[in-house]
Amino acid sequence: MEVKPTQRLFNVGQRPDELTLKPRGDKPWHRLRPPFTRRHWLAWRGVYNPKSLRRERRLLDKRPLWWGLGLGGLLVVTPFMSEQMINIAAIFCIFSAINVIWTLIVGAAGIFSLATMAVVGICGYAAAAANVYLGVPWPLMMPVGAVVGLVFGLFLALPSTRLDGLYYALLTLGIAEICRVSITQIKALAPNNSSINNVDSFIPAAWHLQRPGLLVGFAAAFLLLLAALLVFRLVNSERLGLLLQSAREDEAFSEAIGIDYRAARWWVFVLASCALGAIGAFYAMFYRSISLAVFSLDQLLLLFAMIVIGGLGRSEGAVLGTAVVVLIDKGLIGLGPLRIIIVTAVMIVVALFARDGLTGIKAQFRGFRNRKKSERRAARTEKGGEVMPEEATEIADKQLVYRRLFDKRLRDSLKALITPELIAEHRAKPLGQHTDALDRLLNYFRREEMPDKYGILRVGPLTSCSYRVIALSGRAGHPPRVVDDKLYPTLNEAFHAVFLLRVNDLLAS
Amino acid sequence: MMDASLFTYALYLAAIYSLMAIGISLLWSSVGMVNMAHGATFAISGYAAYFAADWMMPLVKAAVDGPQSMTVLAILTMAVGIVSGAIFGIVIYLVAFLPIHDKPNFAVRSLIITLALNLASVQALLYFFGPQQKALPRFLGSGRMDLFGIPVRIDQLVTIVTTVVLLGLVLFWLRVSRKGLEIRAVMQNSEGAALCGISTRWTALPIMMLTGALAGVAAVLLSQNIFVNPTAGATPLIKGLTIALLGGLGSVPGAVLGAILIGFLEAATGIIPFLGQRYVLVVQFAFIVIMLVIRPRGLGGLLDETRE
Amino acid sequence: MTHQLLAVRGLSAGYGPLRVLHDIDFTISEGERLAIVGLNGHGKTTLFRAIMQLVGWQRGSVTFDGVEIGGTRSLGEGRYTPGIVRLGIAMTPQGDAIFPGLTVREHLDCGAHARSAWRERARRRERVYQLFPQLETLQDALVGKLSGGERRMVSIGRALMSDARLYLIDEPTLGLAPKVSRRVIEALVNIPIEGKAMVIAEQNVAVLTGAVDRMIGMHAGRLRGEVGHVGLE
Repeated sequence: MEVKPTQRLFNVGQRPDELTLKPRGDKPWHRLRPPFTRRHWLAWRGVYNPKSLRRERRLLDKRPLWWGLGLGGLLVVTPFMSEQMINIAAIFCIFSAINVIWTLIVGAAGIFSLATMAVVGICGYAAAAANVYLGVPWPLMMPVGAVVGLVFGLFLALPSTRLDGLYYALLTLGIAEICRVSITQIKALAPNNSSINNVDSFIPAAWHLQRPGLLVGFAAAFLLLLAALLVFRLVNSERLGLLLQSAREDEAFSEAIGIDYRAARWWVFVLASCALGAIGAFYAMFYRSISLAVFSLDQLLLLFAMIVIGGLGRSEGAVLGTAVVVLIDKGLIGLGPLRIIIVTAVMIVVALFARDGLTGIKAQFRGFRNRKKSERRAARTEKGGEVMPEEATEIADKQLVYRRLFDKRLRDSLKALITPELIAEHRAKPLGQHTDALDRLLNYFRREEMPDKYGILRVGPLTSCSYRVIALSGRAGHPPRVVDDKLYPTLNEAFHAVFLLRVNDLLAS
Repeated sequence: MMDASLFTYALYLAAIYSLMAIGISLLWSSVGMVNMAHGATFAISGYAAYFAADWMMPLVKAAVDGPQSMTVLAILTMAVGIVSGAIFGIVIYLVAFLPIHDKPNFAVRSLIITLALNLASVQALLYFFGPQQKALPRFLGSGRMDLFGIPVRIDQLVTIVTTVVLLGLVLFWLRVSRKGLEIRAVMQNSEGAALCGISTRWTALPIMMLTGALAGVAAVLLSQNIFVNPTAGATPLIKGLTIALLGGLGSVPGAVLGAILIGFLEAATGIIPFLGQRYVLVVQFAFIVIMLVIRPRGLGGLLDETRE
Repeated sequence: MTHQLLAVRGLSAGYGPLRVLHDIDFTISEGERLAIVGLNGHGKTTLFRAIMQLVGWQRGSVTFDGVEIGGTRSLGEGRYTPGIVRLGIAMTPQGDAIFPGLTVREHLDCGAHARSAWRERARRRERVYQLFPQLETLQDALVGKLSGGERRMVSIGRALMSDARLYLIDEPTLGLAPKVSRRVIEALVNIPIEGKAMVIAEQNVAVLTGAVDRMIGMHAGRLRGEVGHVGLE
């Protein structure tokens, strides 16, 4: 007996195995919100699945899951790791916090500032000096840093709206250098080697560089990172962020509709400087000292490598890039100068192949796949009323694409049926039984869409009337329009006139 | 206050800086990339010149005798510096320009790649040759000569003359030659240039080689006074970049004017008693910060049309 | 039958998902002057840019002198354009002061930048000056400082400097006073065209009367047949 080959069924569509919720139609949808806001925790969206013809709920934005997984994993795993790794995790958290705030300045506000580490350093020195020389207790160091950051940010922000791009970057680089030299020259501030030591800290002195101390340091750094992410979220996704986004899309237009994007940029810059100041104070507390290494160009370039590897302008990019670079830089410390070469190699590879860093790869790959798809589709596309390949990748419901393809083939086959004999047949008898070819043609015409469908209008009194052809608008409340000024004495002649118009339209399509 | 030797010292600094700044400025205005690897070109040319001079010294001494041998060595070393600079220019072209020049975000991505090249080459030099400083032979000597009654150090004079001659030649070449016309056409409007049949890819290569060669010349000339070491490129890069920006990116006259201003500023800061050498960089940056706040697009707008 | 120079078959083109040109078909033979007329925003410029491969993507085929130069592909910005120019198509873009910082003479030399043409650029410049006498007096003026009509002449002159056999002239009278635009069109008629061809995109049908052999209408990205046959004189 012949065995029938088993049929293989393929899952069709972009994400056949994506997890979706099946809602109950008879129950209202209760959603949880963070307190005091109108937002939702997760972006569930109710959508209609054109394939299964069912309602379903789909998670539109899966990034919160990745954030939870990554940060939660770090929090759970770190206490069980070696002391060196705990230190690396803490350093990762601090640098991530700096980079997230820096991303706010560069990505959201669009101010290309390189004074990040200068702000961190100045505020770190100020907070450390306040603690060591003025006896300010350590819980107040971060507010002190924030206030100094605010003042410094106000000063730095002055030229930021006047200069653009590289010019401002250069200016901030200059200011960073001026800061570094000034610190070396103020002997009273830092007598030995320009560094301030013995800073008080949230880590008890006895625990310094011991395992419990490292764990406390990591926990505090983790909280710092969470706070930085919260600041990013509050600034970037709320009112200020929206104003800035409009300015990024089109400066002139947003100005024309009354958005003062310069003020918004200025605000973001000052706020971010304030946050960087607090981080600077934390930095001094974490190491219990602060030295000129904060200002070094190498440190700045390493930070820059972090945000460009991850992708400029996104918080997840800043954190991911920091993770990659910190792991290479601190994790492979045995390799010596070779590890900087590895970092630069990663930078080059990412910049060569990824348009927007590591976090932009997904969007870039989608674009690439759509282009390839449309190219393949173009190779097998015939000329005429079909969907263009570029359009096709943008249409979510693929049935529309195939509907148009079907329609085009149907029209091609119907066009072949139109002969003078067929038209003569319709003229002789517009209504009643027809040949197969004419029937097919008329059936196709009856199925046409409402806009521009033809109708017949009676003119004059019923006893001595004539007819004229009109076209329907297809929109409620919009009257039909008159097609031409011809008057037809009988209804059959009007029917035939409509038929001829239709045939013309079909042949022209 | 400003005596003659200080004047030549200022001009000497201006010459070196303008070599670096014009390279950065030209590259920005023609292909739209900020070359952060310019410092690496400088350092690598310095190393190449050092090793070449080291190797050629006995050969040249054997072939030519007397004071001419130093001149021959100087010319040969200079040639090596130029060639190695141009070769590194080709490397930058192959890595940072060719693969991505027609892709989105080119300006930022090329900046990242050149920055990475710069970091990598500094580390590679450190890895292979160690942090020791290398001194090139002083083939220009350190003697003085009288020029219209003013005592001038010969090495500074040679540097100034060489730079003026080289820059004059480059600008003349840009003005009259076919390649120069192509480069200027691409600088003004790359799509218009494409419509004239000028390919950006083939125009960028000579520019890269040219700017690399200029950095090579600067490296050999400056190595008469400073030592060659792996991070030797950092200061010239920062100075070149700041001067290119001060001059208004893309403006050659602006870059020259900026270099002269900064050269004089540096020479003057060095002798003011309460400032001294230590504050040179700070004074420069302060000057540039003030200049940029007053004129946000640099000096270039005063002098000619720059890239929008 | 004269030699067919350019054949466009089923050309569609656009930017991203936006389709601007729909199934364009036309041919032009040696010695012919063709005008494509249509209102602003109906795809005339995009058609020229598609032939020069400056738009986002295109489908269909473009054949120049028997060589396939178009095709189904996504295009880089002007990556293939220099090659097409070298084959012998010269386009004068709209709004034309393309190198505002070059002098008139340098601008013209750009047209003759190809290695073979470079040597005889002086002779070619003379030819352009015969056609546009006022350019000769303006030789050393910057193009950015010229008036609209003079810029148009520089731009057309730049196309004439090359070895091109097909001139694509985009909106030669855009934004010019009626008197000046007539002078520009006259100059276009005076260009010797034996063995060559010219396509002019234009909104103003009136100025073209008597200047071209054929006119094709363009509407919403489609060619709408011949507008009318207008003989030369």
